[in-house]
Amino acid sequence: MSYLLLIMEPHGQRAGRNAEEGTRAYESMLEFAADLKSRGILRATESLKTGGVRVATQDGKRVRIDGPFAETKELVAGYTLIQTRTRDEALEWTRRFPNPSADGGAAEIEVRQLYELDDFGPSESIERFREIGVGNGL
Amino acid sequence: MTATDVQRTIAAVWRIESAKLIAVLARMVRDVGVAEEIAQDALVVAIEQWPQTGVPDNPGAWLMATAKHRAIDKLRRDELLERKHVELEHDIQAAQEESTMAAEAALDDPIGDDLLRLMFTACHPLLPTEARVALTLRLLGGLTTDEIARAFLASEPTIAQRIVRAKRTLTDAQVPFEVPRGVELADRRASVLEVIYLVFNEGYTATAGDDWMRPQLCEEALRLGRILVGLMPHEAEVHGLVALMELQASRAHARVGPRGEPVLLLDQNRARWDQLLIRRGLNALEIAERLAPARGPYTLQAAIAACHARAREADATDWPRIAALYAELAQVMPSPVVELNRAVAVGMAFGPAAGLELVDALVAEPTLKSYHLLPTVRGDLLAKLGRGAEARAEFERAAALTRNARERDLLLERAATSSES
Repeated sequence: MSYLLLIMEPHGQRAGRNAEEGTRAYESMLEFAADLKSRGILRATESLKTGGVRVATQDGKRVRIDGPFAETKELVAGYTLIQTRTRDEALEWTRRFPNPSADGGAAEIEVRQLYELDDFGPSESIERFREIGVGNGL
Repeated sequence: MTATDVQRTIAAVWRIESAKLIAVLARMVRDVGVAEEIAQDALVVAIEQWPQTGVPDNPGAWLMATAKHRAIDKLRRDELLERKHVELEHDIQAAQEESTMAAEAALDDPIGDDLLRLMFTACHPLLPTEARVALTLRLLGGLTTDEIARAFLASEPTIAQRIVRAKRTLTDAQVPFEVPRGVELADRRASVLEVIYLVFNEGYTATAGDDWMRPQLCEEALRLGRILVGLMPHEAEVHGLVALMELQASRAHARVGPRGEPVLLLDQNRARWDQLLIRRGLNALEIAERLAPARGPYTLQAAIAACHARAREADATDWPRIAALYAELAQVMPSPVVELNRAVAVGMAFGPAAGLELVDALVAEPTLKSYHLLPTVRGDLLAKLGRGAEARAEFERAAALTRNARERDLLLERAATSSES
């Protein structure tokens, strides 16, 4: 089973970090990812740049909204995709995830299980999903 | 956290940490059975204490420290007992200090080396193959006896007995807890790879077992393979095995039809092959081929699987290359089954007559006497040559030999249509 760990930080926290703190945070992530890899459960891990743009649908029309987005408090800073045997194992790894903010700042990690096509009964649309290569729990 | 949450966390921690715990302890006490007992004792302490104290921040380190104390206590007791027997009281102090120091020094070794030692010990050639498989899943996979029993359609007491006996055999033979060196290494490594591949195949070919355990076994084998790659990054065949498993796993969804019937490789809908696993497999194969001066059996089988993976449609398959790879495989791993596969590839590459020539040379082979694929392949080549009556006889023979009902139906159908052509 695959689980997506979404790393969320308060807005501006990352910008407030100095170079040394940034390196420290980066290294703790690297070490953690290496541990996951050595255990054969790491599927992907990425860090996301700030400065996203949104495309919203408002009154049936597509509207482009440039950031920063004042109304949201949190920023998705990165994600890690792991494959574990049980949900509890995924939760335990999440608990061990290094704090993205090395100086002990606030952060949250949301754990989401991926749908796998085997979760659904066989159908034509599921077959099409397989054919275009999505939904393999990846 | 509720009490249930704590219990579930403990179970997850155990799954994550048990192999490392057992590996480190086994180096201290020099016995995997005793090591597993001590690790479980530490788990019992956690089960008693954590509901009150909460789960520690670093539960793995907590379990390791608790288990190590117990191991050192045990070493001291054993030492004491032994010394009393030989009545060398004055040596006790020095010996105790020495053994404690040795055990503590051992603690500083990298854990990865211990995991590798544990893999080699669990896959020791002294043990029957099925015991190696059970012990590996138990000690390295952290699977319960019940889970292993369900995967192999065996009763729980049978598996429990198998594991107990295996541990006793290792103790009685005083098998050293180490990664062998020199000439022994190649054979012992082959045994480790064989066990992992057996676990994979048990899940992949599904000869037995609970439905939901089968994909679990494939995943478990892949996980063990990926761990082994990290521990032995310079061993070509380890990468070769991982490549082979990733490439085979990439076809898992395409090889079974909607009614559960097997779909042969050339008839599979290739759009359903998992491209991510193919990419991983091809990467691993590339590393294996770069590392090895001469390709070993797993790397060669992976190279063959890669030929299929690279072909967008069945007609685009590079059969001459597959035939050459099988010839190379027959050199490093001579076997009538490999030879039969080579005949199929030669038949596809250079025409049915060339393939038939190779198959005819195998007809007298005693080990293939009741192997249904021999008459299947022969029938197929005869049919392509327009020799319908002979083809029919071969398909009928194959149908009588197979134990798979769906396959039998398919063969009888081919027998019926062959005589018409």
